[in-house]
Amino acid sequence: MPIFKLTLVTLFARKAWFFVLFAAILLPLTLPYLTPHETNIRLLEPARAQVAWSVAWLVALLWTFSSAARLGEANARTGLGAYFRSRGVGRFRQMLEIWMGCMVYLLPLVAVTVAVCLTTAMPQMDAEASMWVTTNLQFALLFFLAVAPLALLCIALGSRFGAMVGYVVPLTLCLYGLYGVNYLGMMIRLPGENALLEWIYAVSPHYHLADLTPRLVFKLGSLPTETFGTLLTYFLGVTLVVATCSTTLFRTEPLKA
Amino acid sequence: MSVHPPHRAATEKSGVCLPADLVIGYGHALAAVAEDISLSRGTHYLLARNGRGKTTLLRTLAGLIRPVHGCCSVAGHCQFISDELSFDRELSSKLLLGSLLPRDRRREAFEFAEELELDLKKAFGKLSTGNRKKVGLLLAEFSIIPNSANVVLFDEPFTGLDAPAREAFQRRWHAADDNTVRIVSCHPDFDGMKMQSAVLITDERISYGGNGVRSWADFKTQLN
Repeated sequence: MPIFKLTLVTLFARKAWFFVLFAAILLPLTLPYLTPHETNIRLLEPARAQVAWSVAWLVALLWTFSSAARLGEANARTGLGAYFRSRGVGRFRQMLEIWMGCMVYLLPLVAVTVAVCLTTAMPQMDAEASMWVTTNLQFALLFFLAVAPLALLCIALGSRFGAMVGYVVPLTLCLYGLYGVNYLGMMIRLPGENALLEWIYAVSPHYHLADLTPRLVFKLGSLPTETFGTLLTYFLGVTLVVATCSTTLFRTEPLKA
Repeated sequence: MSVHPPHRAATEKSGVCLPADLVIGYGHALAAVAEDISLSRGTHYLLARNGRGKTTLLRTLAGLIRPVHGCCSVAGHCQFISDELSFDRELSSKLLLGSLLPRDRRREAFEFAEELELDLKKAFGKLSTGNRKKVGLLLAEFSIIPNSANVVLFDEPFTGLDAPAREAFQRRWHAADDNTVRIVSCHPDFDGMKMQSAVLITDERISYGGNGVRSWADFKTQLN
């Protein structure tokens, strides 16, 4: 898998990953002290979890997406895509190898986030602790299912339209799914029917469902198995749609002007 | 009008076959094969003036574009080294080649890089044009699968390369006892450059330019 190896080496050589990993470990331990924790020391633990997962989202949105878009663009623009195609490495396999290289760097960050939550923010009570572990693992899986397909889209769009489009479009889609959809949901609850808005709401990617931060902060417990299963099915469906679009869009050579 | 991608076969004997009905181009015909051309192991130069279809022919053989008409066959593990091939600017040649070459070929590649005076520790982005070309050439040369049929398509590999480096590669190709077809498109800069075998594209016709001890001086008069 030469492209996978090259992706690993490229991301490693850029060194930004070390800062990202450093931030993922350090920020959850330091930022909560900016809260008024002196008044209530119990605020620290949920604050750590909130910062840890917020950093994970930020890393995904800022670093993973931009790296993926740059790698997709570089594969097409530098002639490497054409070179590997001449060697019999097909389009889909090229895209998959780049994506796998990106995921190798994302997975440790998710693991670090979970580890930070489990070691520095674990509740004292046994029942709460058990729920805490389950919620974090559920969050990790949903987070990965939301971010990973979007990284694939970054690679595909980057290869076709350049790194800027490859980064901005999935970023906008993710932010819309995390925050915009909720505003749209509020709008359609207002009096007066709007079939178009309701349809847009229905087909929008509901990435906010993958964000379990409120459950951790307010200690709402883990998701019931049935609900979690439904969410997994939903995100696997989204993955299928995004992966299909990405496969169609991916190019091994840039578009000719 | 039938359109076919190159037929690829991983056979024991390397070879490239351009049948008489092959027409190449991007959508419209750029050049057509005059009569059947069969290229076996060894180095074959592809000669033509600018815009006559050298890159198009190589890209067609590599399976990157479809012929306008007909089909061609490439027997062996194919590699197309584009004129524009480049790599991440921050990676050193050692890291690049180390990650792309098979483990058992790396040492030999690094030794040859030393002979070419290529600084393997320098970032790719800081290398001169000629030295960047060497990285692509090393990649192709040491990705050749030993004891197997190979076809390597070089698109203007000598552009920007100094004479000692070019001669080092030519010596290596000449001495190679491998089952490899090398097709090299180029614009030689001196008349005495020997070309045992050449394919010419002239007057929208792709033809075989002869086999023997001819030089660039003999061929260039035929190009227009």
